[in-house]
Amino acid sequence: MAQPRELRRRIKSVENTRKITKTMEMVATSKMKRAQDRVVAARPYAAALSEIIAELHDPGLVERFPLLRRPREGGGGGIRRAVVVGITSNRGLCGGFNNNLIKKTRARVAALEQEGAEVELQMIGRKGVGYFRYIGRRMGAEYQDITDRPTMDDAKRVIDPLMERFEAGDLDAVEIVFAKSVSAISTPPTVIRVLPVDVETAGDRQEGGAVANYILRPSAHEIVGAVLPLYVRNTMYRALVETAASEQGARRTAMKSATDNAGEMIDKLRRVYNRARQGQITQEISEIVGGAAAQQG
Amino acid sequence: MHVTVIAPESAVFEGAADSLIAPAFDGEVGILPRHAPFMTLLGDGLLTVRHGETSHAFYVRGGFLQVVRDNVRVVAEHARAEE
Repeated sequence: MAQPRELRRRIKSVENTRKITKTMEMVATSKMKRAQDRVVAARPYAAALSEIIAELHDPGLVERFPLLRRPREGGGGGIRRAVVVGITSNRGLCGGFNNNLIKKTRARVAALEQEGAEVELQMIGRKGVGYFRYIGRRMGAEYQDITDRPTMDDAKRVIDPLMERFEAGDLDAVEIVFAKSVSAISTPPTVIRVLPVDVETAGDRQEGGAVANYILRPSAHEIVGAVLPLYVRNTMYRALVETAASEQGARRTAMKSATDNAGEMIDKLRRVYNRARQGQITQEISEIVGGAAAQQG
Repeated sequence: MHVTVIAPESAVFEGAADSLIAPAFDGEVGILPRHAPFMTLLGDGLLTVRHGETSHAFYVRGGFLQVVRDNVRVVAEHARAEE
């Protein structure tokens, strides 16, 4: 049987670990709350953009924008050059969160390559960048300095060069792999295609009442032209914010189960320790009794 | 009329107003209640929202302004309250 002193040391150590994971759980909980607030706060802007695109949506007008250009028909969906932007977190200790995102990213890249496209991979987040460097996959861009509080400027930095290349006809599709923030425990890795903009899903037409007959300045064409890049940027921003919120949620779950496990381990160790202590006391008493009996005899 | 000022990260202002002056791409526009449906691109400058005695000012840049059914929506790429 293990030494009681040895056991006491292990209990102490597990207790310390539990203290740390418990704290991290609480930190993640409050960070998650704030990150989710940011997701919610960004909604009116997204809704406004969607609505305007729907209202000004007109097939004839819309054909003329490079951001809407669909890949030409042909073998394999017609995509010849694509960019996949994978979003991961900068920090670990969040369970399978990054692994799931990386797996999804790899699967998406493989699927596009299967269709005959040349795929450029861009990674956001230290974890994803580290992984793809390790397996020796070339990346078109690596972003490791986007914090867990992403801003619109971060989104611009990533998506603006891609928009330019898309408009120039250098790319046929741009996709983002991110962690959709459905709820605190459900954060499925999700693929969205940001370019070309799909007007059908972008335009969220509000039912009820005919569309107002607007005075448009300078013109519907120019307004759509100005709003589309905003929409694309906002999609990127939303993906970043949702992933940040999901990361905190995943970390909270991971830390909670670590705390629970530590608690269980402490219970078990304490039981063993008590038995060992009891055993030692019993042994000491019987030694004393034995010693006394020997003296008397 | 009802005014909302929306920036990408969050809504900056929401409330009733008697008048509004916004920096459109080609100069300032003033909006009063019961304005006809209207949509314009924004330039950059000061957006002023007046309601009774109080007025709020915001620095805005980019985006657009939409007026429909006495609802004014200012959707700006950048918007922050002016002190």
